[in-house]
Amino acid sequence: MAQRIVPRPKEVQFKGLGPNFWAVTAVLALLSIANALYFMYGSIDWIMPGASHPVADRASDIDGLFKFMAVFGNAILIFVAGYVIYFAIAFRARPTDAPDAVGVQIHDSPKLELWWTVLPTLLLILLTGLSINVWYKIQFGTGAPGLTTEVIGHQFYFEYRYPGLKTSVFSKTEPMHLPVGVPVRILITSADVIHQFWVPEIRLKQAAVPGLIQNLNFTPLRTGTFGIACSEFCGPDHSLMQGKLIIEPVADFNKWLAGEKKAAAAGGAAVDLSAGNADAGKALFAQKCAACHNNPPTPFDQKLVGPGLLHITDDPAHPNLVDGKPPTAANIAEILENGYTGPIGAMPNRQANGLADKDIANLVAYLSSLK
Amino acid sequence: MAATAVQHLSGHEAVAARYHDVDPVYAETRDLRLLGFMFFLISDCILFSSFIFAYIYLRVSAPTWPPIVDGHQLPWFDTSFAALNSIVLFGSGVTMHFALENWKQLNKQKFYRWLIATIVLGIGFLLGQAHEYSVVGISWAGSTMGASFFTLTGMHGFHVFIGVCYLIILGIQVSRGVYTDSKYFGLTAGTLYWHFVDVIWVALFSLFYLW
Amino acid sequence: MHAGTSTHDAHEVHGHIHPPPEGFVRKYVFSLDHKVIGFQYFFTGLLIMFIAGSFAELVRLQLTEPAGAIMSHTAYNEMFTLHGTAMVWLVLIPLVTGALGNFVMPLQIGARDVAFPWLNMVSFWILPVAALILFSSMLFGGPHAGWTEYPPISLADGTAGALWCMAIFVIGISSTMTGLNFMVTIMKMRAPGMTWTRMPLFTWATFATALMNMIATVALSAAVGALFLEHVFNIPFYDAARGGSAVLYEHMFWFYSHPAVYIFILPAFGVVSEVLPVFSRKPIFGYKMIAFSSMAIAILAFTVWAHHMFPSGLAPWLQLPFMILTYAIGIPTGIKIFSWMATLWGGRIYYTTSMLYALGFLITFTFGGITGVFLASVPVDLHMHGTYFVVGHFHYVVAGGAVMGFLAAIPYWYPKATGRMLSERMGQLGFWLFFIGLNGTFLPMHWLGLEGMPRRYASYVAFAKAFPDAVFWNRFETVFSFFMMASIGLLAFNVIWSIKHGKIAGINPWGARTLEWTISSPPPYYNFKKIPEVSGRPYDFDQPLPYRNTDNELEQYPEFGQVTMPTPLPVGA
Repeated sequence: MAQRIVPRPKEVQFKGLGPNFWAVTAVLALLSIANALYFMYGSIDWIMPGASHPVADRASDIDGLFKFMAVFGNAILIFVAGYVIYFAIAFRARPTDAPDAVGVQIHDSPKLELWWTVLPTLLLILLTGLSINVWYKIQFGTGAPGLTTEVIGHQFYFEYRYPGLKTSVFSKTEPMHLPVGVPVRILITSADVIHQFWVPEIRLKQAAVPGLIQNLNFTPLRTGTFGIACSEFCGPDHSLMQGKLIIEPVADFNKWLAGEKKAAAAGGAAVDLSAGNADAGKALFAQKCAACHNNPPTPFDQKLVGPGLLHITDDPAHPNLVDGKPPTAANIAEILENGYTGPIGAMPNRQANGLADKDIANLVAYLSSLK
Repeated sequence: MAATAVQHLSGHEAVAARYHDVDPVYAETRDLRLLGFMFFLISDCILFSSFIFAYIYLRVSAPTWPPIVDGHQLPWFDTSFAALNSIVLFGSGVTMHFALENWKQLNKQKFYRWLIATIVLGIGFLLGQAHEYSVVGISWAGSTMGASFFTLTGMHGFHVFIGVCYLIILGIQVSRGVYTDSKYFGLTAGTLYWHFVDVIWVALFSLFYLW
Repeated sequence: MHAGTSTHDAHEVHGHIHPPPEGFVRKYVFSLDHKVIGFQYFFTGLLIMFIAGSFAELVRLQLTEPAGAIMSHTAYNEMFTLHGTAMVWLVLIPLVTGALGNFVMPLQIGARDVAFPWLNMVSFWILPVAALILFSSMLFGGPHAGWTEYPPISLADGTAGALWCMAIFVIGISSTMTGLNFMVTIMKMRAPGMTWTRMPLFTWATFATALMNMIATVALSAAVGALFLEHVFNIPFYDAARGGSAVLYEHMFWFYSHPAVYIFILPAFGVVSEVLPVFSRKPIFGYKMIAFSSMAIAILAFTVWAHHMFPSGLAPWLQLPFMILTYAIGIPTGIKIFSWMATLWGGRIYYTTSMLYALGFLITFTFGGITGVFLASVPVDLHMHGTYFVVGHFHYVVAGGAVMGFLAAIPYWYPKATGRMLSERMGQLGFWLFFIGLNGTFLPMHWLGLEGMPRRYASYVAFAKAFPDAVFWNRFETVFSFFMMASIGLLAFNVIWSIKHGKIAGINPWGARTLEWTISSPPPYYNFKKIPEVSGRPYDFDQPLPYRNTDNELEQYPEFGQVTMPTPLPVGA
């Protein structure tokens, strides 16, 4: 076996960190600064609609976070892409090198590796703090809502419900209305499959999930007409499931709502309550109502999500129902039919709860029997 | 070693043949099949864990438990019969342990007795489960309780059934002299599998009957 | 101990090795040889990639008109569903684990095969069966609800939906068994002297991938198994009206599907870690951190799944830990990117096709990773979820990451597999077609999504009215998508053409230092006549070769490997 002594390959030689390294770094830094200035002071309306005139308070919070990430994220991309291209060109194999020349034979640099672990970690910790701040505002920042509405997803339209309005507004025929400047809570659920309610200018979206009630809380800041889109696949006509949202001055909103109520007052058959079965109602209560009202029923003040219903018909401290009407069978049935939205909270209507006529009759019979 | 002899090697011998030209010591320390079988049992654990997660999720998010179906609340399970059946199954784990111990100590007759005891107890458990299914009073498709119960215990029962079949095959293989006192991976695997089935049952029994 | 002996009586040598398989069926159809199985995965995966890619082209053609250009909504939904399903389970995972992992990993660790060759063969043959089941669902109308097939909407798919569940369940068995097989192989069958810290990084990546494959896939089997039961027997796991929960499906599905995306990308990371040092002629920078970060990613992958569910019914307090952990998983990924950049620095770089793909990977994967950080933030995700921004993000990391890594691997290991070099000219053209096509197709999706274009839309009339330039951008994306198809087509042609016309490759055309480059190209069925002994790390180009007692002729020159590569042109033009 011939032992050939081969000289060790020579490493390539270059000055400093590479030819023109600092010039390239300066260019990348300038690009990053330009990117930062653009996102901090420029208009990003072309990618985030309504960014310069926020449509909702949460929208400007979210845009702020987005801009922070764009400043740093794009800077990282600029440096990574920039250095990759630069290294690939600056350190290319040249014909003037020895044919078996090798690159700089370093394996690691603990100091460098420490910095490129610690600095991104610190950046991410900062991002976490900023994200939690905005998250908190989204969850809890709106406080008590001035208006609570419901959105129910269907295949392939949205159904909107308003407090005190017996009928629903359907996205196929009419837009959704909201008053500007009033904190709103939108309760969202679905009657069939999973949908998603999204107004791009408002940024927030929530899924409409059958069996769950989700909520969106924000304050609209500006009037205008905006598009609502379903953004979770829901069937063949998913791409046709859109709606319009009109945000208008409070006076105009109230006028619109009054008009809707007047139109609804004419007509609507009442549920037949004569055949209600209190035992069936008791079982149904445990199945459908116990998620929000204590079961077995408790006094009013022992709330779960909604008040205790033990003394719904005979509580001296609360002689009327939550909508101010006397606790007759018909009025209890009305709340079950239409739901309730008001200062005390919100209760879904019969469609959201899946109550047939006989279910309402049974529940009324049961609730009326509680003492 | 003749080329043809190499073809029929199994277990330790096959591994040794692979590495014989390097280091016989290296060759002997590699038992791939035991590790592979343990990994298989771990992945099977994850399968059960996923359905257990589903059951816990469904139960915790239900407004009442047992759930109310068509106006009637479903009945709780009867713990006493299931506890009896569990003792049968755990007993079969004990008998299997003794079977393997006796094999390792070269008591072939005692091994057979313990193996047959294990098979009988295993079949007993399956019959017990069949009885439990007939008296439990809920249906598979009627509620989330039935869905979780029958799917999980059904999967477990299927595993027990496969285990019983494998133990029977083991018994036949032993009678044909397939295993020797130093090469008995099939018996080890069978015992491990049987203990795995016991461990899963501890989880299922606790979740359905004790919670 | 047999130390350094190079003379072995031929009979004695072959006596320790299984005799060669005989007959066409044993050799090429039901082969136990990991190399043949790797080829089988490669060709099957590539064929299905053409089918799934064609579905994607139909999707893109549809979107050239706001009202939908060529098909009904239902047909469109079927197309994007099958595109996603086939790409994820029948193309990506089989190609990166089944093809690359199978062919390369045993060679890199100095083994003669995987731990359980028969299981390996069965794992492969499950793939065509699963493909048949999935595509047969088209006869029943096909699945429509996306590769995620969420109930309740997916329950409307009927028989096709049940077949979808069956196909996924079946391919899951293959993935789990492959993962198990690779883990035992790497843990127990490494050549003597190959400690964990001397293992090549592609093997490390395969190990981390195998761990995830083995643990996560079973959770998917449970999710689709329960969905199957609901389809066929009406068992109420996910039906809200009977106490079930659609969100439960999302949890079970994503618990697997998040690790799945790391299963796609880790082997690609491994390929990049192999290719960059060789074509920079310097060691990989930060070997230990790259290996460690692969394991960290594999473990963290199991903790972040609900970031796919932020607006979907997740309890609000749960959003925070998932957000924080998703941010955290960016750290090991960043460490890798920086280490790879440092590998390039000060190198002596050759622009081979593999290197071009690796360089492109660094740019496109980083871009995809950064957009991932945007999506990880709950508030920002509430805007971006379900839009084209997400589609852009995941195609950058999947096509610009996993597929680019795979495309880097092909020209790199094709010479070893076949004994011929792939055409460099075709390879370089293919690279530019793919790189330009990828950026042209997926970059505009980001701003379209932010502006308000939801995903899975068969038509976008309302959006086009609000943003008229959406029509231009959709058409732009469609045009560039054909560049990518052309690139893959060129690759397929190259692979077939080069079998006959490629330059003959020697044992080690790249001057690389991992064990697969010490045996002939293609290797004999038994891989190594003598199992080599490893004495060092595989990436030190100024050190003597890190193995002894090997088969190849380089043993005659024990100091340094031949590193004479023609400059500045790439090898084998």
